[in-house]
Amino acid sequence: MTGFQAWASNLSDLFYRCFIKEDRYKLLVSGIGVTIKVSLLAVVIGILIGMLIAMCNLSKRKPLKLIGGIYTDIIRGTPSVTQLMIIYFVIFATVNLDKWIIASIAFGVNSGAYVSEIIRAGIMSIDKGQTEAGRSLGLNAFQTMTRIVIPQAVKNIFPALCNEFIVLIKETAIVGYVGLMDIQKAGDFIKSATFIAFMPLIGTAIIYYVLIKMLTLLLNRIESSLRKSDVR
Amino acid sequence: MIKVKNLHKKFDSLTVLDGIDEHITQGEVVVIIGPSGSGKSTFLRCLNLLEDVTEGEIYVDDELINSPKVNVNKIRQKMGMVFQQFNLFPHLTIMENITLAPVLLKKMTKEEAIKKGQELLERVNLSEKADAYPAQLSGGQKQRVAIARALAMNPEIMLFDEPTSALDPEMVGEVLDVMKDLAKSGMTMVIVTHEMGFAREVATRVLFIDQGVVMESGTPEEIFNNPQNERTQLFLSKVL
Repeated sequence: MTGFQAWASNLSDLFYRCFIKEDRYKLLVSGIGVTIKVSLLAVVIGILIGMLIAMCNLSKRKPLKLIGGIYTDIIRGTPSVTQLMIIYFVIFATVNLDKWIIASIAFGVNSGAYVSEIIRAGIMSIDKGQTEAGRSLGLNAFQTMTRIVIPQAVKNIFPALCNEFIVLIKETAIVGYVGLMDIQKAGDFIKSATFIAFMPLIGTAIIYYVLIKMLTLLLNRIESSLRKSDVR
Repeated sequence: MIKVKNLHKKFDSLTVLDGIDEHITQGEVVVIIGPSGSGKSTFLRCLNLLEDVTEGEIYVDDELINSPKVNVNKIRQKMGMVFQQFNLFPHLTIMENITLAPVLLKKMTKEEAIKKGQELLERVNLSEKADAYPAQLSGGQKQRVAIARALAMNPEIMLFDEPTSALDPEMVGEVLDVMKDLAKSGMTMVIVTHEMGFAREVATRVLFIDQGVVMESGTPEEIFNNPQNERTQLFLSKVL
């Protein structure tokens, strides 16, 4: 046997032990499901909270501004693992909800703080003259916001929001801390069961990479179709 | 039509308007001139409450408008505003720019608004641009659309805040022509401008504002040919 053949057969043996034997690949497949499920719900929650907090931050009312400020400050100032564990083991300790939903809420709460900043920056990037033109025509503040400012801000917000979505997916790799079997946890489990580190961890990385690559391509496509109406 | 009593406007400690009393009647074309930083734009912006008033009273059709009880949006519907930077809505077509407010505020049905929009675009010579986006227009065209957009609400008064200052020189004329046309039709207009020739030709009254007060007011002949105030004389000697 040449060196290469030995290396290749060793690799395929590792591959077999890590993924095929005892149907271990199924762990990863269901892990992908968990990661996607948690990320999707979290991104929705994150956007909703983000919009709410952005409204608070942009508001002229002092108490609302204060709430928005404190929220962003706390979320940014503490690690997401800590937030996840507090939400899971303290706040939702006695609430009977699916684990993955609680995890999604935790990630959504975290993401909301960052999304709010993205939305706020996007809205502030629209020239003040646009608001003045809307108001001077007699539109009220809400109409001006929804018909004039937000439609323009969306194009600025979207790319940053995509980036936040990708960060969020990777962030969910810590859900193992509250006992959910996502991609990362599945890889980790295989590592412990087989005492092989290389194959499961590289496998985990590849799965995340492919997942995010596919998402990036999809989001790019949506973004360029958003730009189409942009005759500038 | 518009009565201003003892109008003061302060930005923090900076006094921009220092007691303005003015009465603008229906059909008047009032042109406001003065050095930059004199408060003329601020005065105009106070008239439709884009700036909140520090002190004093503004009445439109005998209604006190700078009072918390008043529905600002209703007041603004009576007053069209044209800005130096046009401020067209870039995400909407020209026709949508014009019809947005009348339809949204239920002044017209969509069909009525489009019909009105076509009339207005014809009036400003831009019928063929109805489906274009603002970015495809030149500065002069944008400003003419902005005028049409303001007129679509059937305002009683039109306010112009340096409408030609952001334009290339060769486009100033086309915008001024539209404004002259509007003045001839009997529209009440308040115009802040640096176009002295236009002021002389179109104004029924010229206000010279400096240091936040009306220094002098009179017909174009009085102001341009025989200014009484020393500051007016100085200003005119620089710009004419």
